[in-house]
Amino acid sequence: MTATQSRPLVGAALNRVDGPLKVSGQAHYPSDFDVPGQAHAALVQSTIAAGRITRIDTSAAEDAPGVLTVITHLNAPRLDRGPMTGLGASPPPPLQDDRILHHGQHIAIVVAETAEQATDAARLVTAEYQADEAVLDLDDPRAQILDNPWGLDTQRGDVAVAMASAEVVVEGTFTTPDNTNNPLGLFCTLAHWDGDRLTLHDSTQWPSMVRATMAQVFKVPEDSVRVHVPFIGGGFGNGLRAWPHVILTVLAARTLARPVKLVLTRPQMFTSVGHRPEGVQHIKVGATATGELVALEHRSLSAVAMEDDDYEPLAAGSAVAYACPNVLTRDRQARLNIPNPTSMRGPAEAQGNFALESIIDELAYAVGVDPLEIRLRNYAEINPEAELPWSSKALRECFEVGAERFGWSQRSPEPRSRRDGDWLIGYGVAGVSYPWYQAPCQARATISADGNGYVRSAAADLGTGTYTVMTQVSAESLGLPLDRVRFDLGDSDMPIAPQAGGSGLTSALGNAVQDACRQLLDSFLTLVHEDEMSPLRGCTRADVAVEDGRIHRLDAPLEGETYADILARHNLTELTADGASDPGKAADLGMALAGAFGAKFVEVRVDADLGLVRVTRIVSVIDGGRILNEKTAGSQIVGGTVGGIGQALFEDTVTDAGTGRIANATFGDYLIPVNGDVPDLDVVFVGAPDRGTPLGTKGVGEVGLVGVAAAIANAIYHATGRRIRSLPITLDTLL
Amino acid sequence: MRAFEYVRAADVDAAVATVTDDPFASYLAGGTTQVDLMKDGVLAPERLVDITRLPLHGIEHGPDTIHVGALTTMEELAADPTVVARLPIVREALLLGASTQLRNMATIGGNLLQRTRCRYFRDPSVPACNKRSPGSGCAAVTGAARMHAILGVSDRCIALHASDVAVALVALNAVVRIQGDQGRRSVPLTEFYLESAEDPVAENMLAHGELITGIEIPLLPEGARSGYLKVRDRVSYEFALVSAGVALVIEDGVIQDARIGLGGVGSKPWRARSAEEVLIGAPPAVETYRAAAAAALAGAWTVPGTAFKVELAQRTLVRTLQNVTEVSS
Ligand SMILES: Cc1cc2nc3c(=O)[nH]c(=O)nc-3n(C[C@H](O)[C@H](O)[C@H](O)COP(=O)(O)OP(=O)(O)OC[C@H]3O[C@@H](n4cnc5c(N)ncnc54)[C@H](O)[C@@H]3O)c2cc1C
Ligand code: SF4
Repeated sequence: MTATQSRPLVGAALNRVDGPLKVSGQAHYPSDFDVPGQAHAALVQSTIAAGRITRIDTSAAEDAPGVLTVITHLNAPRLDRGPMTGLGASPPPPLQDDRILHHGQHIAIVVAETAEQATDAARLVTAEYQADEAVLDLDDPRAQILDNPWGLDTQRGDVAVAMASAEVVVEGTFTTPDNTNNPLGLFCTLAHWDGDRLTLHDSTQWPSMVRATMAQVFKVPEDSVRVHVPFIGGGFGNGLRAWPHVILTVLAARTLARPVKLVLTRPQMFTSVGHRPEGVQHIKVGATATGELVALEHRSLSAVAMEDDDYEPLAAGSAVAYACPNVLTRDRQARLNIPNPTSMRGPAEAQGNFALESIIDELAYAVGVDPLEIRLRNYAEINPEAELPWSSKALRECFEVGAERFGWSQRSPEPRSRRDGDWLIGYGVAGVSYPWYQAPCQARATISADGNGYVRSAAADLGTGTYTVMTQVSAESLGLPLDRVRFDLGDSDMPIAPQAGGSGLTSALGNAVQDACRQLLDSFLTLVHEDEMSPLRGCTRADVAVEDGRIHRLDAPLEGETYADILARHNLTELTADGASDPGKAADLGMALAGAFGAKFVEVRVDADLGLVRVTRIVSVIDGGRILNEKTAGSQIVGGTVGGIGQALFEDTVTDAGTGRIANATFGDYLIPVNGDVPDLDVVFVGAPDRGTPLGTKGVGEVGLVGVAAAIANAIYHATGRRIRSLPITLDTLL
Repeated sequence: MRAFEYVRAADVDAAVATVTDDPFASYLAGGTTQVDLMKDGVLAPERLVDITRLPLHGIEHGPDTIHVGALTTMEELAADPTVVARLPIVREALLLGASTQLRNMATIGGNLLQRTRCRYFRDPSVPACNKRSPGSGCAAVTGAARMHAILGVSDRCIALHASDVAVALVALNAVVRIQGDQGRRSVPLTEFYLESAEDPVAENMLAHGELITGIEIPLLPEGARSGYLKVRDRVSYEFALVSAGVALVIEDGVIQDARIGLGGVGSKPWRARSAEEVLIGAPPAVETYRAAAAAALAGAWTVPGTAFKVELAQRTLVRTLQNVTEVSS
């Protein structure tokens, strides 16, 4: 029995608890912090993609007004690389030698009294290079290929034999470009050393990792590093790593013995904090004449930087998306002279799903089966790799509810069969099976003398609503009204938390918070276990419930007392307990842990003469397990869908041939959807609490984006009869 | 951004004198082009002369023309009742440009003088740009050139003049009023701009220090049909990949007068006289429109990134003509 109260708080579509702070300008983002005596930094970046610096001249910059120091590879200390993380190796530390590995690499940091002086002086640093021919293209034969870098390649059955016997085979090559995450908040680092103690304000999705990294790089104990990030202006994956500019800022502050603040520019956001790397995928499916899959082969190649890691197994997800007896997936990476890629919302899935859900659509047309029906015909009732039942899966319901809301039955089967004036109209659908991810997490809960709750963990809230949903979970678990509970995060001195990423934080943190609250209730019951004065003496958690801060016996609800009463009688100012969550293992649980599922239904209008595409409707039906807050979860799907429209139609980071410079590193040139490109978005949640964790949640941060691109491409095919296998689908490709 | 001196001009003569006498001074109107370029390190004037308080605001209405003060904002001009009633091509071109916030800052004079969006021009770390550093080459010709021009260009520079409203204004035979330290002059907008094919640096015939005081826009005759169509990737807040502004007078089933401006294609706001010649005297029909469009694009010079514009510009012009004449395919 859990501590509950009559009105369920979890699930309610509550407004954000941090909303008032945000709208009144009191939510402090990293760049809002200033400390007395701080200096300001600006970065100098390489203008070649490969080679060596033969000469770097900092004298003019050093003489410029207000300049305090210029650090280059010539005067920087040797630094260790940060630790391995759940996402692979840390990025290589900056300024360690004269080698240039990508255009835009940081080759100096200039620190001055003001930001304007630093920016101006940074332009005065000149470098000469011995340039090598850069490796910039996936198909460059010089590119080093990493085979199966994550060990996720799969092979089930015999694909070659099955493909040969298939009645229908369709295949295609799909390309996806570099995309840039582009959170609105420019990334900022403010570093402040006090002896060997480092205080850092940093735009990160993972304070605990930044702390560990700085401790290792600067050789100080972890507990002397404190990372703050109460708010961050979005991340979309950019904040998952301790980037070179963070290390440079910390280094500058240490060198000067002064606080140093660095805010990246928008163009630097394209080269300094990762991006979704371009990829090429070949996918081939064999089926019976009625569309039952017999073989699926999915091979991918994506770009990675010369000396860095990035987790991008594009094809791996295809192994579990459909019930297909013979499957082969192969993922490879090519090392290029490009800025370090990183996870971008729905990493790997956003690209892999585009290929998979497009080819399934092609198969549907090839065999003359409705695209929705073919997905149901190949439904994976159990996880076909693990051969275990899913911890939860309501994808069928997603398709059925979505078809109903969208009016899929109105679809005309033939491509290019509906027109309204200049506009061709098309319908498209795509399914999503988002992978499960969860990492260990800790939380701490306290009840103070006034009976109010305070719960915290070193997590980050990207604006997704973590503060809000964790306040709800805390309040419900502690049996307190919302306004008597404070949930806090964004401080690495709090109990360690994993990254806000991989759609994994809500389950990890939610279960840790729930556990901490339960442990705290246990502590109260232990305190009064032998307490003659307590109506609760001898009770265990199973015997009680808490309402409005008052613990009472289930068998005698009038018998009880408040948290505050117990603390007062025991002369305590507070009581604290720690909690933790650990992801279960499929083998122990006897089930395959499931991430979210989703179905996306899209209507487009295409002016075939001018190549114009307008997305006019999108219905997203999501199985996200237990939904903690309909409103914040719904906003995740809406935001993800907008990102999906961007991936489908606009987003394309263009690299200059030869130089490796990013050609469109501004918001004027790198297009993302504007309001007019986004129709009303219909979002519905279906399904039941997931059986894999106590709280029953699944992450919904990324499932909203994935599948949108394929559904749009499928709708464009239905509208025009043209199959576009390359993103983004711009008007010139449709002319 | 470099430190600079900011001065507020007391009157038109003082403004002109200050800038004329100082080779390192520039005018500042709404600042939406000027300040951006200073932040990017492309321009580094030592002195900015703020002209926004000069009495060059507002619109005067004559029987056959309107006179638009150079400091009139894009939003103000679009909202003018005469523009709404008699110059839909101007109103549409304005309202399809930039965003509301920008249109409330941006002035008409500044709009005509906006600089190209070429990213190689706007990024001083790129060495090759003949417009920024004469003789250095052109990075765009072998680079990312989707937003570049195909008419009035050469391999020396393919920069686009990205103004929308200027496309409408060249079609309407608007006239620019200019004041310099030697006096005033008026220049037809069609003669005001220079093609970059020869000289990428000089974009128009203004001398340093000359101030645009206003623009005279002849009204279209009653019964004329006009419209502006802007084709771009997203629905709003983007420069044109291709646009067309047309004005037609049709009587007795024959096109009596035709004015065609094209955007997104020219090193200057493009007046397509060859298309007009095809149209005038012909009946309004899709075949005629296609022939006119083909004539308009006959001289196109493309690089791989801009090749699609030749076809798209023709289709856009045909569609615009169809829209204003309600002729279906
Ligand atoms: C994000 C963005 C999107 C945009 N989208 C569009 C679009 O879709 N369509 C479009 O047409 N435009 C667009 N623009 C351009 C915008 O319209 C121009 O920047 C604006 O009109 C310039 O006017 P301003 O008053 O701000 O000029 P300023 O920036 O102040 O001045 C521009 C230049 O003209 C000079 N100048 C200004 N006034 C005078 C004068 N009276 N006499 C002599 N010299 C003068 C200045 O010295 C400067 O060199 C966009 C701009 C931005 C930033
Ligand atoms: S197109 Fe013109 S402005 Fe652009 S790089 Fe070439 S020369 Fe410079």
